[in-house]
Amino acid sequence: MGAALLGATLALLAPALCYGQSGQRSLDLIDIHQGGGLSDLVHFLSFGGYELSGADSDGTPAFQSFGPWYNTYWRDFSAEWLLTLDDDFGITFGLSTGEHGEKYRIDPSVQLGFIAQAHPRPNATLTLTVATTLWGRLTEYPCEADYGNGLQTVNCRLAADPVDPAETLKYLLNEYPNRLSIRLTYSVAF
Amino acid sequence: MLRTTRLLAGLLVASLVVVSTPAFAGKKTTPPPPPPKSTPTIVANALQSWMSPDIQGAWTAGYKGQGTRITFVDEFTGSDPFSGNWGTGTKTQLHGYWTSQEAALIAPSATIATQNFYSGTTVALAPTGLNVINLSYAMFATAGYNVNQIGWSNQEASIISYAKSGRAVISKAAGNDSVAMGTRTRSGVQDYLGDALIGAQSALFVGALNSNGTTSSKASLASYSDTAGSNTSVQSHFLVVGVAANKTGLAGTSFAAPIVSGYAAIIGSKFPTWTPTQVTNRLLTTARKDTLVNYNATTYGVGEASLANALAPNSIH
Repeated sequence: MGAALLGATLALLAPALCYGQSGQRSLDLIDIHQGGGLSDLVHFLSFGGYELSGADSDGTPAFQSFGPWYNTYWRDFSAEWLLTLDDDFGITFGLSTGEHGEKYRIDPSVQLGFIAQAHPRPNATLTLTVATTLWGRLTEYPCEADYGNGLQTVNCRLAADPVDPAETLKYLLNEYPNRLSIRLTYSVAF
Repeated sequence: MLRTTRLLAGLLVASLVVVSTPAFAGKKTTPPPPPPKSTPTIVANALQSWMSPDIQGAWTAGYKGQGTRITFVDEFTGSDPFSGNWGTGTKTQLHGYWTSQEAALIAPSATIATQNFYSGTTVALAPTGLNVINLSYAMFATAGYNVNQIGWSNQEASIISYAKSGRAVISKAAGNDSVAMGTRTRSGVQDYLGDALIGAQSALFVGALNSNGTTSSKASLASYSDTAGSNTSVQSHFLVVGVAANKTGLAGTSFAAPIVSGYAAIIGSKFPTWTPTQVTNRLLTTARKDTLVNYNATTYGVGEASLANALAPNSIH
């Protein structure tokens, strides 16, 4: 809950070069948030589960929820700054803490980029924003499942599906964040 | 040499038709119609109302019994077709087509092989992958003989051998005489094929429930179905499944065994390295008791076969 609120309330607007005083170099915090991207993907996995073939002490089928495997107390936390070098150029950089749960890990990451502006007309601005993310890989870990004939390594989420346990390992998440983001915007002031 | 006659378990309920093997009796006077050139192809894309919802999970994951072979030793030539509907349209056809199509609907990617039970020849096994043999028939003879006195044809001898050596999962219809398996029927005969399979490591005896059981709507044994009885060797290999005759027009343990055959094929898809005995044991150890009315081993054996349970791990960490 806390993480969701933080993400919702502290996410700022997309960066743009704005100066209090023309030509002055400055450093501004332009974005801060928790969750998003791969963190949201993993959070989505935490919903659901399946019945095991064994029963609880009261005789009802035991249920394996995905929640304990894919939830975390600390969602990936990111902060990004803009270093303005002149009226039309700035460098962006940021850090993400990464996160981990029982069956996954998102590595910390670094974001680097720049913003360049041009003014084809006095009241118009053309903005090029380029950003790249280094590291930040999502790795999903397998489980050990007992099917009555010894332990088998299996994708935790697919252990109850009619798929060969060895086959399920192909579907373990091994994802990278968006490596490169390029955005070109054109704005006109009326 | 003892003479035996074959009795189709499913037909027993409807008409008590006894089919004698030509080798044993040869008293049929009506020439059988020419056999169809091949088993009609069934395309399974929808869960039928008679199926357990467990099967949907198997299909959703795209696993439908591939890499396995189910061999049906059944009646594929003869003059006793009957009508029913698996949800793919009403048809009138022979017993073997009904049973094989039922399993094909459950495990549509399994290879379906057929062998007319009049052939008497050795049942061939696929060289790779799980082999399942469906036996929706009995071999009746006057009660009172020792099973060792039966002179089996190569067909039954091979089946019994596969069950004892664990080379194939044998899914055997329990019978429709409302008696304990392995005991004489009210007409004084006994199913010696069933007797010969008692104690075999990869044999399963399949009784019929009136419906698929759930914890909120428990199922009871169909009135016609044989029970597991007091023999613990039977009980430990006796499963039950729902046979929804009210939806298909097809009643009998003949139509219980193919469900378990289909389940075995799907389990074989998931665990391609497992032996037939391991697949058999998986079905037995994961059967449910909480979906049955007044569960007891004498009636239900180990319980209702549960595909979902069989596919799910006992525990996971």
